[in-house]
Amino acid sequence: MTKRVGIVSVAQGAGAESKDNFYDQAYRITKEVLEKVGITRDDLGTIVTASSDIFHGGISCANSYYWETTGAFLKNASRQDGESLFAFFYAVMRILSGQFDTALVMALCKGSENPPNDTCTLMFADPFYQRPVGLQETLAAALQMRLYLERYGITEEQCAEVAVKNLGNALGNPYAHRKGRYTVEEILGSERLADPLTALQVAPKSEGMVAVLLASEEKARALTDKPVWFKGYGSSLDHFYLGDRDLLKGPLRDAAARAYRMAGIADPQKEIDLAEITEPYAFQELLWCEDLGLCGEGEGGKLIASGRTRRNGDLPVNPSGGVLANNPYVSRGLQRLVEAVLQIRGEAGERQVPKEVKTALAHGTHGFAGQCHAVAIVGIG
Amino acid sequence: MAKEYKTLMTEIRLPYELSYGPVWTRFFEGMAEKKLYGTKCEKCGRILVPARSFCPRCFVDTTEWVEVAQQGTLTAWSYVNYRYFGMPTEPPFIGALIRLDGTDVDFLHLMGGIDLNDFEQVRKVVKNGMKVRAVWKEERQGHILDIRYFEPI
Amino acid sequence: MGRPVAIIGVGQTKHGRRTEISYPDLVREAVVRVFEDTRLTPADIDGVVSGTMPSMMEGIALTHFYFADAMQAAGKPILKTETCGSTGISIAHTAYYWIASGMADLILAVGHEKMNEGNSQATMTTVVEPFYQRYFIAGAPGVFSMQSQMWAARYGIPEEKIRDAAAYISVAHHDDAFDNPYAHVKLRVTMDDVKNSRLITYPVRLLDVCPNSDGACAVIFASAEMARKLGRKAAWVKGVGYRGEEYFFGDSDKGVWQSAVQAAKQAYDQAGIRDPRKELDVAEVYNPFTFQEMLFYECFGFCGLGEAPDLVLKGVFARNGELPCDPSGGTLCTNPIGATGLIRTAEAALQVTGRAGDHQIPGAKLALCHAMGGVDQFNGVMILGAEP
Repeated sequence: MTKRVGIVSVAQGAGAESKDNFYDQAYRITKEVLEKVGITRDDLGTIVTASSDIFHGGISCANSYYWETTGAFLKNASRQDGESLFAFFYAVMRILSGQFDTALVMALCKGSENPPNDTCTLMFADPFYQRPVGLQETLAAALQMRLYLERYGITEEQCAEVAVKNLGNALGNPYAHRKGRYTVEEILGSERLADPLTALQVAPKSEGMVAVLLASEEKARALTDKPVWFKGYGSSLDHFYLGDRDLLKGPLRDAAARAYRMAGIADPQKEIDLAEITEPYAFQELLWCEDLGLCGEGEGGKLIASGRTRRNGDLPVNPSGGVLANNPYVSRGLQRLVEAVLQIRGEAGERQVPKEVKTALAHGTHGFAGQCHAVAIVGIG
Repeated sequence: MAKEYKTLMTEIRLPYELSYGPVWTRFFEGMAEKKLYGTKCEKCGRILVPARSFCPRCFVDTTEWVEVAQQGTLTAWSYVNYRYFGMPTEPPFIGALIRLDGTDVDFLHLMGGIDLNDFEQVRKVVKNGMKVRAVWKEERQGHILDIRYFEPI
Repeated sequence: MGRPVAIIGVGQTKHGRRTEISYPDLVREAVVRVFEDTRLTPADIDGVVSGTMPSMMEGIALTHFYFADAMQAAGKPILKTETCGSTGISIAHTAYYWIASGMADLILAVGHEKMNEGNSQATMTTVVEPFYQRYFIAGAPGVFSMQSQMWAARYGIPEEKIRDAAAYISVAHHDDAFDNPYAHVKLRVTMDDVKNSRLITYPVRLLDVCPNSDGACAVIFASAEMARKLGRKAAWVKGVGYRGEEYFFGDSDKGVWQSAVQAAKQAYDQAGIRDPRKELDVAEVYNPFTFQEMLFYECFGFCGLGEAPDLVLKGVFARNGELPCDPSGGTLCTNPIGATGLIRTAEAALQVTGRAGDHQIPGAKLALCHAMGGVDQFNGVMILGAEP
């Protein structure tokens, strides 16, 4: 990359249910992200949004509904389905093309209006083979967790520790939907939804209007004293049928390798200061940490036991509380990025980590047992 | 002859619960009282109906509520004469854009109060530019169909 | 404009009512053809961008999961672009920006739809918002007919003349489709057939409307270096434009449709086009409805406002006319929606590379392709040329 893209402003809405309508929620977050750097809709170059029809209140062609709420009236804009980090990357591409000097990335999902997540993700399954069996994300994750426990001797307690850590971290996050101080016993003693998964190890269904404003290097420096730079991105998709895949060696390895290569990162354990990871199921934080190279293969259990990934550890993971605390399905990847940016800028409030954060990783995943992953690296310097 | 392959008949139903929020709640409360409200954009001065919390073009909050006229001018129409699964309105009907007097956008609703069975007759009566007014239901519940249709004046 | 981008190959399915094949296999049919066309293999591809219509039409949500294998996308970077009816052209735009940004050299773009598996009009009704407007717009024909009526009543042109011009377009495109091996509807019709066909949504009659098609389209985009290295005859992207309007039908004038006007202008400015009717050799306009096609001619500057019906009846936009439009038979004869905008792109690429077969416009060097969507909200345009 010869040119740089800067993140100049971020905004997010609260995860708890709001009786405000979708349209007005989206408008307010757009206003906020623009006003933080003192620009108006007229100054905006392009807009890329992320949303999915299945998570969109029964209204089809999602971006038809909210087009003007993102400031897009008579502007050149586009939309990504499924994963909001897709939209982030597409907006980066639009700036790198030289055609736009600012780009708004916006993820829109109002969980309180939608059916249960499992009802929605059942619709990912093909109608012939997998849907009649009842495959959805929670069942897929339970199967993946069973394999994970058995292949590497990870314990259920170690998985529950992730929920203890993240729901505890969420106490410092005013946007978090679910939070609390729990013990491992309470996590494991919560309702068994799909054994070995218990209710407190499964993410809730949250609201999530999340916005990120990007700018070309020159424009970024003009808009803020604290630009955070785009460093790298990678994504990858796995085969469709669950039985065709090795659920413990998924496409996150490829996605991470691509992002690290672009960012020039040779040793992620040393060079990544903080990670915000999409872990809709507690154990996945451990598995994804392995795939991201933040610990060795099969060492996820040891990583959480070491305490290194706590908010005050040397490799904080999900100091925001992660997706276990806040799960606006489509928006969660971009929300991870917003949290990473806030930490780098030292603006994370009570959830700010005590160490210096120069380079941070944001991760998004969607699909059965992580069929698709996206990784973004951002940093200063 | 080519072999016929099977198809799977299936149906999907999903429940959603949508929030009105404060602005739309107020608009529909008005309908229950036989009143139509718009909101005014301070910047461009346009009166938007149905009421909006912000102006899509100026991107500023609308602050002023305005009760708008219940009559206006037909700006476009289509006589709908086909049906499909899940159709919310029984055909034949006339979908119509109506510029309510004193407002700055078109309001979408139905044209009625005329015999809809003979299209050639309809075409003789319904013309862009004609004046129309709202016909309300006796029983109202704060719903867009509390107005039965707009009829020619 | 970023670095130059070219289209180096296309693949289409036979479009139509394809109940004999599963949806993934339909997608695969197009993907296999683009690899045959380019003599590339999936291993060569840097990333895949796909898209379709909303999940209610598909019966499947987030279709990139289901079609990962059909698209040969496993292990690949992926993007999923969806913008309602304009999805196909938005996919093309995503592929373009991916390469123009310098982030990739070879991108596979795939658009697909199996319209006959779902219910298109029931889905289209759910695009309209449920509080105020859903009851009054009868699917896509409802909204686009109201727009057509608004336009047709504006310039004082006798209704009969506009009716004749729309019928002329229908007859011409139905004839054109016979020369396109992939087209869905192949039917000889007369002006009287069109004018006497069943009234659907006034002023639109049955033969003014596109069909429900099953179909997919795959297109490979390449950087200039890659296109030269592969030695492929390429269609070069000269301009891209896209604009969208408000959701509430009634907020904007649809007779002179600003999103169409400005999307075209953005693309023309990049391509250096000042007089589109003179400079363009062919256009693939997204035309699911005959009346609307004339409105596009005006919005794209092919003629002045209110002039389209006269010029249509003079044959200006016919196959042998001054600016042939939709020589493939267009959307009017083939509409697998999620693929349709990308089919327009593929057809334009075939034209400027002289590979359009029986519906080739001789010597075509500069082409426009287009798609529209939403509740009469979105327009996207791409200009392709024979030279970089």
